Amino acid sequence: MGIQFEHVSYGYHSIEGGLFQAIENINVSIDAVGEFITLIGETGSGKSTMVQHMNALMTPQSGQVTIFGVKLSKNMKKDTKLNPLRQKVGLVFQFPEYQLFEETVLKDIIFGPKNFKVPEKEAIQRAKEVIKLVGLDETYLERSPFNLSGGEKKRVSIAGILAMEPDILILDEPTSGLDPKGRDRLLDLFMDIHQKTKKTIIVITHDMNTVYQYASRVLVLNKGSLVYDGLPKELFSEQNIIDWNLDLPDILHLKKHLEEKYQKKLSRSPNSTKDLFLLVKEELI
Amino acid sequence: MKNIVIGQYVPGNSFLYRMDARSKLLALVVLMATAFIIKDFYHMIGMVLLVGFILVAGGLSVTRIMRGLKPVLILLLFTFSFQMLFVNTGELLYTTDLTLTLYNLPIMMGIIIFWMISKKYVKFRFIYLLLAVFGVLALLATFAPGGVISSSRVQIYSDGVLGAFFIMMRLIIIVTLSTILTLSTKPTDLNLGLERILKPLSIIKINAEEIAMIISIALRYIPTLLDEANKIMLAQASRGVDFKEGKFKDKIMQIISLLVPMFIISFKRSDELANAMEARNFVPGRNRTRLHVLKWNYVDTFVMIVVTLVFAISVVIRVVM
Repeated sequence: MGIQFEHVSYGYHSIEGGLFQAIENINVSIDAVGEFITLIGETGSGKSTMVQHMNALMTPQSGQVTIFGVKLSKNMKKDTKLNPLRQKVGLVFQFPEYQLFEETVLKDIIFGPKNFKVPEKEAIQRAKEVIKLVGLDETYLERSPFNLSGGEKKRVSIAGILAMEPDILILDEPTSGLDPKGRDRLLDLFMDIHQKTKKTIIVITHDMNTVYQYASRVLVLNKGSLVYDGLPKELFSEQNIIDWNLDLPDILHLKKHLEEKYQKKLSRSPNSTKDLFLLVKEELI
Repeated sequence: MKNIVIGQYVPGNSFLYRMDARSKLLALVVLMATAFIIKDFYHMIGMVLLVGFILVAGGLSVTRIMRGLKPVLILLLFTFSFQMLFVNTGELLYTTDLTLTLYNLPIMMGIIIFWMISKKYVKFRFIYLLLAVFGVLALLATFAPGGVISSSRVQIYSDGVLGAFFIMMRLIIIVTLSTILTLSTKPTDLNLGLERILKPLSIIKINAEEIAMIISIALRYIPTLLDEANKIMLAQASRGVDFKEGKFKDKIMQIISLLVPMFIISFKRSDELANAMEARNFVPGRNRTRLHVLKWNYVDTFVMIVVTLVFAISVVIRVVM
């Protein structure tokens, strides 16, 4: 059992006094194991609001969110402990600057675990593991988080959440501002964590290639409503994605061009460039 | 935290809103000066009525002004009691002995302890405090049997009462007038008006424009930084910082986890702003045109004439009487 959304809505008050519905009537169920989910949608479609509901940073104005059995709604009990939920569902924010504050990377990474009463010794042990997991080495632990490059800061901020050992990991645009190689390495890292631990990972992204290559499930938000929940391949082949301001992944663009050039449809969607090459060799030429 | 209001500006549509920020500032200064010139009792009443008239004609809510007066209430009471007690010229109006004796000392302590315990359950705490103080004073003045511990004589003179009245009225007028100004003027307009009024200071090498620029940037960045603070709080809450609970030691750590990113982000922001200004060819102290230009209307001229007349008449009355 992971996270359930039942008719969840949340609105912000605008300055003029009106109500802006950030998310509206969201129904979704997310398992704690075995899912690699990407959450996509144009800017302002409610992605951030939705993930902040997932680790109890926000509670719904109407409807109910259930996180690992704990029910959150407008009239929940006042003494509901929200903090333990944030350990179970780790959320990495988009900008590492918002969370790095300690003198050394080590101290920053163990800050989260220590808040959840993990003994210092064990927290340090975890820090040593996760720093390698995010692709940095142990020498980084003694450095100041403010003297790192943007990509390194991002890795450290992810390590800080990983050290909490959450059951579900949520990442808000983890690859923004990274170079292509760094982006691929980070995504491979998530895939690796996902495959080793079977933990569910939710990634907010604007990159359709990420969606197509990595995700086992994709959620599409459009103007606050959940308009699609299913397989990425089906999303790009069957749905009218133009209305949702989405784009095709590069490989499907290429496929489309080839099909137009040769006036012939390919029998299936390719998984990778190599797959496409084989497909083209077999069916077109 | 999202819709924070900076300053106290309340949108409206009266003559106060149609006035230029410069004339409002100048009128404020002149009226305040007038309040300090006045020495005559009836004249002061007239001045208070004038301020009241501005308030009503300007369509501002009286309750808001009252709220503005609340913080200075303590100050008012202090000056009032000091004036009453320590001025001893004019006619003697009232005198009494405050005597502390072995018998009324426990009663007095009883009143104070009762007040301390019961104040939590009372709605108007300030009035309750006044009642308690009054009760103690009345006790000391009237009920004094037994061995005298200490005694002091309180004498109230007419000049003290009058002085107290004037000081109170002046403070009320000043606070009310400045509240009227901030309620009816946008911070940006106020800033621009201030800049224009202080411009002559450039003769003595004080650059009003730069001061105004600093103020407007500071005002502009309050909501931005609040927004950032909110984001930092969410990010740290995700790492298990519970801003609602925790021991004192934890609390300090929580605040540090909030402050350090806050500092770094504000430095980064100001760096970015400086670059953006430079990219737009901003040179400090150079003459610039304005997007919003202040406009001097008939109403401004009219108000300035009225205010100057009020000032002149007050000076005349002061000198003649």
